[in-house]
Amino acid sequence: MTSEQGVKAFAKKLIGNQQFLLLLVWFAMIAFFSAFNSIFFSTAVFGNILLDWAPVVLMAVGQTFVIISGGIDLSVGSTVALSGVVAAFQMQYMMNAGRNQWLAIAVGTLVAALTGVVIGLVNGFLITKAKIVPFIATLVTMGAASGLAIVYSGGAPIGGGPDKAITLSVPWLGPLSSPGIAVIFIVLICGLFLHRARFGRYTFAIGSNEFAARSAGINVNRHYMKIYALSGLLSGLAGMYFYCRLGSGAPTSGYGGELDAIASVVIGGAALSGGIGRITGTVLGALILTTTTSGLIIIGVAPDWKQVVVAILIAAAVLLQGLKSGSRGGSR
Amino acid sequence: MNSFKKLSAGLVAAGVAGALLTGTVVAPAHAANKKIAFVMGAESDPFFQAMKVGAEAAAKANNIDLIWQGDPSEYSPATQIPVVDQVLALKPDGLVLIPTDPTALQASVTKAKAAGIPVINVDTRVGDLTDVLSFITGDNADGGAKAADALAKAIKWKKGGSYQVVVGLTSATATTNVARLNGFSKAIAKKYPGIKIVDKAYSQSQPAKANTNVSNWLTKYPKLSGIFAIDGTNAAGAAAALQAKGLTGKIALVGYDAYKTNVDLIGKGVFTALVAQDPAAEAKLAIETLVKFFATGSKDGIKAEVVIPNVVLSKTTSKADLAKYTYVQK
Repeated sequence: MTSEQGVKAFAKKLIGNQQFLLLLVWFAMIAFFSAFNSIFFSTAVFGNILLDWAPVVLMAVGQTFVIISGGIDLSVGSTVALSGVVAAFQMQYMMNAGRNQWLAIAVGTLVAALTGVVIGLVNGFLITKAKIVPFIATLVTMGAASGLAIVYSGGAPIGGGPDKAITLSVPWLGPLSSPGIAVIFIVLICGLFLHRARFGRYTFAIGSNEFAARSAGINVNRHYMKIYALSGLLSGLAGMYFYCRLGSGAPTSGYGGELDAIASVVIGGAALSGGIGRITGTVLGALILTTTTSGLIIIGVAPDWKQVVVAILIAAAVLLQGLKSGSRGGSR
Repeated sequence: MNSFKKLSAGLVAAGVAGALLTGTVVAPAHAANKKIAFVMGAESDPFFQAMKVGAEAAAKANNIDLIWQGDPSEYSPATQIPVVDQVLALKPDGLVLIPTDPTALQASVTKAKAAGIPVINVDTRVGDLTDVLSFITGDNADGGAKAADALAKAIKWKKGGSYQVVVGLTSATATTNVARLNGFSKAIAKKYPGIKIVDKAYSQSQPAKANTNVSNWLTKYPKLSGIFAIDGTNAAGAAAALQAKGLTGKIALVGYDAYKTNVDLIGKGVFTALVAQDPAAEAKLAIETLVKFFATGSKDGIKAEVVIPNVVLSKTTSKADLAKYTYVQK
């Protein structure tokens, strides 16, 4: 192999690496927005981006597991809304009873997480026991959860909880706030679970070939339950994140969040047919999404354009995937 | 898509039928009781929840059977029209309609008129009011102007100064948003030269989206003087952004709609002022107007248009008034 060939091969490998491409896209975006308005290149704006990024990435990481297993979870946005409202009532109750603020926040977090897990388990039950395809099963819980959130809250944001919740959202480590740091830790742990542990290997195995996974002795149904419970858990935590951000639990929080989550995962290089995906891709996908939102506001373009930008990115990501699998097929 | 629409229309029909069924089971209809159907915008908005409280009280006081219907969360003609059709099939004696679109709901009013059912519009209106008995609304243009006054006072406006303000909206077309923004912009142009609206954005009724908008504005405009949050959800999102950035009291925030969470924040100095409407009074008047029409069968003494004034809530408002104007929640 001549050195020229070596360079070519290396270049080809880089272009074939979705994470690398995403990083390039992200840098290009930062350069583009900063050129329009230099204030974009600042800690404060990066803080705004991470503020939006944290709940999206929580939902998207759960979605990554689900999509790699060959499923889909449409209920994540509604789970955010319902868990936020349920936790808000719990914290309001505790504050009225004169409890300690931090205790109320801790219990609220637990309640939000549990609400998410319950919705995830219902999804898992519908899929494995009632044999409903994931798209329909999670469509059912999506409607039920968002409806319950509205009925339960009477439509209004539920406040009256601990004042300290909102001060938690103040960044103190550069652009990072405490909930933001917690989210980064959770994402790291989930990444290890997916790429370095048996839990992840099972997930990939089921998504690549469910039948083979079953034959290999994997308890596929139980694993599905766990995956959807995890997705619910992370969405529940996103509900609590929104609470800390707004100082109240709003029944419209997370509205449309499922689309942001799925978009992040797909832009990140996962295949909806299952078996392919990486946490780093999802993390970058979500970052690109929220950078677009902040960028458009800073340069003074209606944020509605975000949907167009996201649509183009999804198309590009899927196209790239087709090219990759096409070339692989050709070499065989 | 088509079959999905049919399915959802079917579900709405089932829901309305179910509501009627339970209504008759719980409260056996008195032979003399008249039925009034009340079709509102979106159940999830506390504004309509407060309206429901007023409507229910007035219905009870006048021995009226109330049919309360509307989409759970979406403020849109596409979801509202099938609801109106189903409600008309129940043959109510009167219809109170909050049209989600001035043009799209016109046909529903014509349909009601053809069936001999008198119609009242509350909050928003259809384009042509010929077939509408009465239109009862909060004064949105006046609310916008009052918000401008409150904001100018809060940023200590002086002639010759220059001030940057931003406006958070829910949608570009909702008639209430448009009227409030017009009232606000006109008052500023006329009375407060030097104040400039430097940015606007839409939140689609989501506090979190409003929060994102305001958080970025606070970075983009380091010299920002004030924020006008045009409705309850924008107010909630903007209030949280100010608190998280430690700018409470440093940047003036004038909100709209007296959600309980927002009223509570007046005392903490987050909101400089809050423009409150009186949705319960609007609904009560709508029911009472229909009752009067049932009794006399004539339009005499019924005003074609009634405007219910807004109230500005601030730190100096008495506790009793704050409580009175806070939107009632379940």
